[in-house]
Amino acid sequence: MDDNQAVNALVRRCVSGDAAAWQEIVQQYNRRIYNICYRFSGSPDDASDLTQEVFIKMYRTLSTFDTTRASFMTWVTTVTRNLLVDHFRKGKYDRITDSLDATPGNQEDGLTLAEQLEDRNPSPETRLRSQETQKLVHEALKRLSPELREAVILRDLQDLDYKDIAKVLNVPEGTVKSRINRGRTELARLLQRTYKQAS
Amino acid sequence: MAGEFQSGMQCAEVEALLAEALDGTLQGSQLAAFEAHQQGCASCRTMVEEAQAGMHWLKGLDEAEPPRNLVHNILAQTIGALPSEHAMPAPRPEGWVEKLKARLAPIFAPVATPRFAMSFGMAFFSITMLLGIAGFHMSDLRHWDLSSHGVMKTYYDTQARIIRYYENMRLVYEIESRVHDLKRAATPATNQQQPQQEAPATNPKNPPKSELRRDNQPQTPNHSQAQGQPKLAASAAMVPAETPQARRQGSHLVTSMGALNRRLV
Repeated sequence: MDDNQAVNALVRRCVSGDAAAWQEIVQQYNRRIYNICYRFSGSPDDASDLTQEVFIKMYRTLSTFDTTRASFMTWVTTVTRNLLVDHFRKGKYDRITDSLDATPGNQEDGLTLAEQLEDRNPSPETRLRSQETQKLVHEALKRLSPELREAVILRDLQDLDYKDIAKVLNVPEGTVKSRINRGRTELARLLQRTYKQAS
Repeated sequence: MAGEFQSGMQCAEVEALLAEALDGTLQGSQLAAFEAHQQGCASCRTMVEEAQAGMHWLKGLDEAEPPRNLVHNILAQTIGALPSEHAMPAPRPEGWVEKLKARLAPIFAPVATPRFAMSFGMAFFSITMLLGIAGFHMSDLRHWDLSSHGVMKTYYDTQARIIRYYENMRLVYEIESRVHDLKRAATPATNQQQPQQEAPATNPKNPPKSELRRDNQPQTPNHSQAQGQPKLAASAAMVPAETPQARRQGSHLVTSMGALNRRLV
């Protein structure tokens, strides 16, 4: 029995009222959904609330999952993405347009984005090792438009293939690739520009 | 033509193949054309470099750690708090006992609370204590005749016992006696003399019932008093005729009744 069949069996048990099966689904997918919500919203508290909402929505609509149309992973990601878009449209998670002089997390005594980019080791691998650099990239990701952000999150952070991303976003595969390219490029430009200003 | 180079690949094609190129899935002639185009096109080269850098930045991000209570909160909000709105049907009970429980559970849900259980327990305790004081024991139940005849007999026995108890109460007996005396005292003398005038006309062998009753009354024992105690109420034979003294006694009785009524109230 492969992974898909095992997950489908788990879902069937859950639909028939097996609470243990539902608990197993929550255990398996909470980390992934939380990370999507966290990278999209940019806030741990919002991510926690959104993850709970996603699972409540899944719990209520689990019986509508069709194993013949998509994998459970794709379905879960679609539910998550749709809920995030709904929240975004409500204006709760509007695009962040902080200036480069603003400090991440609105900390008055924190380093500015330009100061944080100033690193004696210019290679991306070395910078990413530090926690501060992680925050820097995370802040830059928040500044991307929602369309580009969700595309790069699903591809580079969640490792979904283009076909599944196209299903989740409900756009053609070509559009998915274009958004991913633009998202990556914009993120790199943003970080490089910040680094040049700092140096 | 703008964007077209010696490799035969246009800038738009490079952009379309960029994702596969960064994934490392581009092979053969396409890969060669892609690399050849970059050599001659600065803008595409920059684009590829930026996209590659951006991908490395993103892939370098660590996975965020969810809060510890996240799973607990999710389960509490789904399995714990939303059973009625659950899209998944509850598992059906198999045995008849489980079926009965499942059917009765929603009915008794409002009373199946600790507060109700405590109230019910206190009420049961109070009733049991009162029955014990009244001399009722549950062991007597098996001696009860629960047939229709037995129930009726029990009903009439109980009724007779209650009436007997009521009539033998000292207070009731006293009130009845005084009311009776009051009536007799308030009756005009003519009404009382009339039977005396008619008495000689009647047959001495067949005296009227009232006379018989008057003769028998002193012999009737008074249940409300023990021997040697003064009588609480005077019999009809002891009540004198309408005289000034009787009138005074009547007024005294009315006063006593008023006081008695006030005491009762």
